[in-house]
Amino acid sequence: MPADGAPPGEGLLGFAEAMDASPAETAPAPGPELHLLTFVLGREEFGIPVTQVREVIRVADITRVPHAPAHVRGVANLRGRILAVVALRSRLGLPAAEPTPRSRIVVVDLRGRVLGLLVDAVSQVTKVPEASVVAAPEDVRSAEADYVTGVARWQSRLIILLDLEKALAPTE
Amino acid sequence: MGDSENPFGELLQDYVLECLPLAEQVADAFVELERRWREGDPADTLLTSLAGRLHTVKGNSAMMGLVPMRETAHALEDACALLRQQPECRNDEAASLLVAGGSLLVDLVRDASAELDPAPAARFVERVRQWLAAGGAPAADTQPERRRAERRGAEAPADPDKAANVVRVDFRRLDAMLEVLGEGLIQHAALAEAYRALAPRARAGPELARLDHAVVALEKTLKRLESTLMETRLLPISTVFARFARMVRDTAEAEGKRVRLVTAGGETPLDKAVLDRLSEPLLHLITNAIVHGIEGGEVRRQGGKPDEGSVRLEAAPQAGRVVIRVSDDGRGLNEQAIRKKAEALGQELRDGETVPLRNLIFLPGLSTAERVSTLAGRGVGLDVVAGAIHTLGGTIDVATAPGRGTAFTLSLPVTLAIVRSLIVEIDQERYALPLAHVAETVRAEPEAIREINHRGVAQWRGGLIHVADGGALLGTARGRPEPRRYYVVMSAGGKRRGLLVDRLVGHQDVVVKGLDAALGRPDVVSGTTILGDGRVACILDAVRILEGGRRAG
Repeated sequence: MPADGAPPGEGLLGFAEAMDASPAETAPAPGPELHLLTFVLGREEFGIPVTQVREVIRVADITRVPHAPAHVRGVANLRGRILAVVALRSRLGLPAAEPTPRSRIVVVDLRGRVLGLLVDAVSQVTKVPEASVVAAPEDVRSAEADYVTGVARWQSRLIILLDLEKALAPTE
Repeated sequence: MGDSENPFGELLQDYVLECLPLAEQVADAFVELERRWREGDPADTLLTSLAGRLHTVKGNSAMMGLVPMRETAHALEDACALLRQQPECRNDEAASLLVAGGSLLVDLVRDASAELDPAPAARFVERVRQWLAAGGAPAADTQPERRRAERRGAEAPADPDKAANVVRVDFRRLDAMLEVLGEGLIQHAALAEAYRALAPRARAGPELARLDHAVVALEKTLKRLESTLMETRLLPISTVFARFARMVRDTAEAEGKRVRLVTAGGETPLDKAVLDRLSEPLLHLITNAIVHGIEGGEVRRQGGKPDEGSVRLEAAPQAGRVVIRVSDDGRGLNEQAIRKKAEALGQELRDGETVPLRNLIFLPGLSTAERVSTLAGRGVGLDVVAGAIHTLGGTIDVATAPGRGTAFTLSLPVTLAIVRSLIVEIDQERYALPLAHVAETVRAEPEAIREINHRGVAQWRGGLIHVADGGALLGTARGRPEPRRYYVVMSAGGKRRGLLVDRLVGHQDVVVKGLDAALGRPDVVSGTTILGDGRVACILDAVRILEGGRRAG
């Protein structure tokens, strides 16, 4: 439901709606494929390499950390391990939203750093031909959003590819 | 991650683990030799005692095919052999050759890898060769080899009986064991909580009594396991102290000063996790002492002090904590300059009231004034040191006397891993407060706390203390209708302050877990932990809260 609250054009990539999703899928691409875990934030679909994903969990108790950066939702107990949970919406500059029953925490492993990403919903693991990926438009890339590595246009879906290591670089 | 899959990588790790301490001991002994020779002591025993360690490093390096290390150790052996035979060669030049070689060896071993740059070792080997030649030594390569072969028989390895009872364990295994113990403690807390909830409703009987007994017994067992494990993690603090001997010499030399390092209490045990994070702040303090504290020889003579300055590094256990003192016999802190600088930084120094020096010197941006400018880049902010000590749950204090020296006193927990804490609740969130910093908990009677200058103040033990609102401090208070019911008096480093909380939940041994870098460096939180009910709680940094007031208002 959170998606419906966002007014049109408020997404990270308002342009994505305007892009034509059809041309890239004229022929089934035989080339190399990307294995992505895709999830939803607002009205947009995002993808990260499945190799970075450890597991997807339901949203449990998240303890607030005083004076942590705004995009940090808090910390949670992942089987005895402390998991820092990042509200990916705020990190990507989307309007904040309270977790719903569909919300999930995607646990990622970025070269040994384990973090949780709070997302509105997880869609699925998708294989996307590398050839279907186009660069994000200039104005988006040059802005703060240098963590968008491209957009996959595949089977009438637009999947925004994220570089999590850039998006979640340690805060000083 | 990839490294551990490489068998050579693991061997290399073992090599570093074994050889680095040896190389460091050798290097430190060279520094000591230099000092003793200057004092006219031939130090025969020390010189001879090095041979075994040097030889082990050489042998292990050869086994690993690490040529630069092998060659460096070999050259040092040759140099030592000559010096043993010809005491007249024990001069400054020989000493600085050894010291340089020792440092090189430590660096090489520390960065051991197959792709090591061989050039520095080659240069050193050449330097030794020339020195041997000039010293009238026999041709560098043949005869010493034979002498070494003869000597080998005499160098028995360290006490074999003792070695038989020692197992080398990767520290990460101890960390893993601690994790498991931590889970056990959490599960016990959950069990005890469930028992407490059950007991009033259940009918008293032998089963209930047995359950009560088992819960208590389990706690005792876990405690014993904890203390055994904690002991296993302890290392003597000398393992950190040992690293400083050479560094003191090098820094002093670069400054054109003569400084000796005196250490005491090196046997004091400390958790390795604390030790690992202690060497950086200590290094800062010692560097500061040499660069800023100790005067040049001329000034010292005028002041009636010996030419050679001294930096003392002392450790002692004290009431479950470890106290470390870093002191020098230098010029002392320039109090006036510090006060001026603090004022320039906008620090209010109220008239008629002397703000203690220790409240100023650890302020961010306050490097010790004008002396820093003459030594570009050397001014290490004491705020950084204090921050590092606070992160370890420690405190730092300073005392200084003009012309007589400066002493920094650090008090640190023996172990970081498990902290007995008071669990409190503020605005529905639970927090752990380390008991070491809790002086008392007090019921907050509505009329007991008065407002003076927008700050809550209460009478406590015949004096007045500032009482801050926990919710305001932690950013959770939003127009509370109900006053909080308790306050916790926290104390550290002579400072006291009350913290208003809603509920006192109980005591728990909490296993300290870290904070991910994504969390930034939250000011008032030193770590996290898992409570009996499985929820995560933040561990509050009492020292920061006591200093703070920045956000507490």
